[in-house]
Amino acid sequence: MAEKPQPVRVLYCGVCGLPAEYCEFGPDFEKCKPWLIQNAPQLYPDLIQESNSNAADRVSDQLQSSSITDVTGPSGSSVPKQEPVKRLPGGKIKKKDKQEVIIEKVTRNKRKSITTIKGLELFGVKLSEASKKLGKKFATGASVVKGPTEKDQIDVQGDIAYDIVEFITDTWHDVPESAIYFIEDGKKVPAV
Amino acid sequence: MFKKFTSEEVSGQNQVKASVQRRIRQSIADEYPGLELVMDDLLPKKSPLIVAKCQNHLNLVVVNNVPLFFNIRDGPYMPTLRLLHQYPTIMKKLQVDRGAIKYVLAGANIMCPGLTSPGGILDEEVGAETPVAIMAEGKEHALAIGFTKMSAKDIKAINKGIGVDNMHYLNDGLWKMQRLD
Repeated sequence: MAEKPQPVRVLYCGVCGLPAEYCEFGPDFEKCKPWLIQNAPQLYPDLIQESNSNAADRVSDQLQSSSITDVTGPSGSSVPKQEPVKRLPGGKIKKKDKQEVIIEKVTRNKRKSITTIKGLELFGVKLSEASKKLGKKFATGASVVKGPTEKDQIDVQGDIAYDIVEFITDTWHDVPESAIYFIEDGKKVPAV
Repeated sequence: MFKKFTSEEVSGQNQVKASVQRRIRQSIADEYPGLELVMDDLLPKKSPLIVAKCQNHLNLVVVNNVPLFFNIRDGPYMPTLRLLHQYPTIMKKLQVDRGAIKYVLAGANIMCPGLTSPGGILDEEVGAETPVAIMAEGKEHALAIGFTKMSAKDIKAINKGIGVDNMHYLNDGLWKMQRLD
């Protein structure tokens, strides 16, 4: 039997995740530069020269400007840490998940419906306990449904959309009424 | 295609039954003969093979939570770039010139002039409607996976418009999705 082809080990940039040679076309080449100089000097010979010639400038620069502190690490410790921003594939920046509860009524079978509640876990509520409480309060089945990729949600049988707001705010005082939203005709409508 | 792909677009994933697994394995083996020897490492017979269905009739073949292949409707299976980087020889290659890299990494389709210019390399044997690896001038690794719209000969002869559809490129949604849980 012929020999197995060994998988090629590709050097991926530690900053942007692209193969190192594509950093120059990546989302933020400037941020990758320090990493590249350390880990892949042979790919960008120009960088080394550049960094050597103005190494002194750079250090002082980094100390002064806060915009590149997250690259330099320790030197920026005095600056308040920025919220980690998640970059979407489109290059847009996605903020951290908003703390909100979303309630949606799904019609299952003409008169029968299911109310789904999403986002309770963002307020530090234990979903399994919450579902039990909901089931008890409305005397219906309530369960935690695990989406394969989405976050967990609570399904409650029956249409309880309007009573539920009061119940949530009463039971969990951390949840403000203004953070509760309904979904009506695919649009998000505040509950109050 | 994967420009805005996130795990939220996976509408359902399930472990497929053995006969479907066999069919997927067979079609991948047919498509990429170069993978034959490592097939058992990539898709171990024992570990479950999961197919994640996504929007736009897209399927992802997932093993151990790592997406390995994707296909559209009943189209050919294509490897993800991370896999292609490991086994670069499995696909036919087309090379674009340096000027095109920027646009391809932004998700643009590959236009004929980028392939026919001095920096580009065309493999004459590539027919229409086949998956190809898109390489770049002066770079070692692939930067995208494409699906040819016309054969290499046509690309050369017509030299206008879209030659290869860009399916999957560096830093798109699928690239960023290293694991699918």
